[in-house]
Amino acid sequence: MEHIRVITISRQLGSLGWEIASATASNLGFQFYWREVLNKAAQRSSSPEAALAAIDELGLLGICPSPKICLAYRQAIEQVMFELANIGNVVILGRAGQAVLRNRRDALHIRLVSSIQTRAERISCRHNISLESALAQIEASDRYRRNYLKRHYQICWDDPTLYDLTISTERLSIESAVAIISQAAGNTQELPETTHQAPQE
Amino acid sequence: MYSSNKKLKQFAHPAEEEFAKILDFYGIEWVYEPRTFPLEFDEQGNILEAFTPDFYLPQQDLYVELTTLKTTLATHKNRKMRRMKELYPDINIKLFKRREMNNLMVKYGLDRSGDSTLNTNNQAE
Repeated sequence: MEHIRVITISRQLGSLGWEIASATASNLGFQFYWREVLNKAAQRSSSPEAALAAIDELGLLGICPSPKICLAYRQAIEQVMFELANIGNVVILGRAGQAVLRNRRDALHIRLVSSIQTRAERISCRHNISLESALAQIEASDRYRRNYLKRHYQICWDDPTLYDLTISTERLSIESAVAIISQAAGNTQELPETTHQAPQE
Repeated sequence: MYSSNKKLKQFAHPAEEEFAKILDFYGIEWVYEPRTFPLEFDEQGNILEAFTPDFYLPQQDLYVELTTLKTTLATHKNRKMRRMKELYPDINIKLFKRREMNNLMVKYGLDRSGDSTLNTNNQAE
């Protein structure tokens, strides 16, 4: 039995993703990686503007790197993720970790969601902006993240089979979510080399 | 993480202030006009022309120069950019053509003069 060494966390804007990811890393004694993945990839692919474009979910900076730069950058992101996963004991937030590392048997893939109303209220409260503005941010962010996965990995962000565990943070506290993820990480067995055929469900 | 004294900054152009606001919104560290690069010298080695990019983004190791869509200004800055790349090939620098962002900033709630969205690190979510 081998414990999980890599946790990827995919989150919706306003679902408390950063808080839960960082607290999970702290709880498990793992290293937490977020923007570092982007910036390392930017350095490696010599395309710092691509990192900015990746951060610019709302399209405010108006950066459009060439397809060649985008490809080099995405490959660098994947390379950085594989290296981090090989080091192990890491929590990686965002950047399609559930797709890039989907075949790793020591990886646990988490998805965090909340209702759009709750997310809007959180964003509105956090940034002291109107609910309307918060909703606009959420719609743009959801569109960006969904398109990123679709365009580069041909997967649907909402596909539940991409994740080992989906947690709604609608009512659960950050601490509860961290406890659930930590328990899953501690109790998940490495999958066997050959996939067993389950009986017809 | 962010420019700590941005409230005291006197930007040369409103577009620069707007750009700084967007960087703050995304939690991107920045420094305003931190370095001047000499571009041309006379025979005595005196600096005839220099270039001071508007921003430096340490996390991305990137200098950013903003320009408007006016052709004459863009041409002038493009020439400086080319000279920069000749003299300082290891420096990452990017010319950003500023579009009109006001509508988008209003839509997303970033337009308020109180700047309460600054330092909020939106993408942490």
